[in-house]
Amino acid sequence: MAILVWCSVICALLACGESRSQAATLKLQVQLVWGTNDDRSPDPKHKPVESDVREKLKELPLKWSNYFEVNRKGFEVSPAGVIRIALSEKCEVEVRSLGSSKLEVTLFGKGKETLKRTQSLPNGEMLVLGGNAPNSTAWLVVLKRME
Amino acid sequence: MDWKTQLKLQAFLDGELPETQARKVSNSLAQDREAAALLAELRQTREALAGFDKGIQLPETREFFWSKIQREIQRAEARTPAPVGIPFFARLRRLLMPATAVALLAIVGMVATRQTGSTLRSGGAEAETSLEDTGAFTYRDYSAGTTLVWLSYPAEHELADEDEGGTLD
Repeated sequence: MAILVWCSVICALLACGESRSQAATLKLQVQLVWGTNDDRSPDPKHKPVESDVREKLKELPLKWSNYFEVNRKGFEVSPAGVIRIALSEKCEVEVRSLGSSKLEVTLFGKGKETLKRTQSLPNGEMLVLGGNAPNSTAWLVVLKRME
Repeated sequence: MDWKTQLKLQAFLDGELPETQARKVSNSLAQDREAAALLAELRQTREALAGFDKGIQLPETREFFWSKIQREIQRAEARTPAPVGIPFFARLRRLLMPATAVALLAIVGMVATRQTGSTLRSGGAEAETSLEDTGAFTYRDYSAGTTLVWLSYPAEHELADEDEGGTLD
């Protein structure tokens, strides 16, 4: 009985070690989103954000009722890899994989580092960086783990 | 009647008391009915045993009889098994049992902690001020799996210059 339990414990520990040592390429998606209380965006290229993103944004303590997607980019980051994505002329995001779903996200405004954050981003979770924009609107950078 | 008096009665019956004490006991028996009854019982018992002893005859001499008993005791002692070394698996089991208990407790503890943690997180939300940047405020919604980092300073005009239409492009 005791031997059986020990074997189970060892197997469980080995499995944990195995799963931790596994590092896979992360599939991510980043969006630049504009938050407003207007029903429509003046820019016809903008389209409302997808329903899953909208639902999650609605859960957040934000005052805006509508969110429009300005730009969207999907990308992959390899283990210990780093990638820099330009979302607009002024807004860039750098994502570095630290392993085990952990990311270092750096936000650049006009080429200048504005925020650096280390964040664990399991599958299905979302990191939203935001700030105030002119005319009581908001800009949001939505980073989503796809796989 | 106390224990001393009972012993004294037994000694009286066996004729072991000095004469003065024997006389005292004898005199007290006239007034102490309980003592007289006990003495009568002791006397009857002695007589019964004396009669019993007389009926037993050993078939051999006394020395031979006791030597037989002694030999039997020695044989029984020789038959007592010598302590055998504990087998390897028994020793291993002895070591593993407490270690297993500790391991199981640790596993149960880890599972309980993990479950408690998930319970606390599910449906909950928390807000914190980012230590990395004092200009940022972090809000975490565990149920939705969403983290919001709100930058108070950027920059209405650093990241979000509006174009002619008033949007971010």
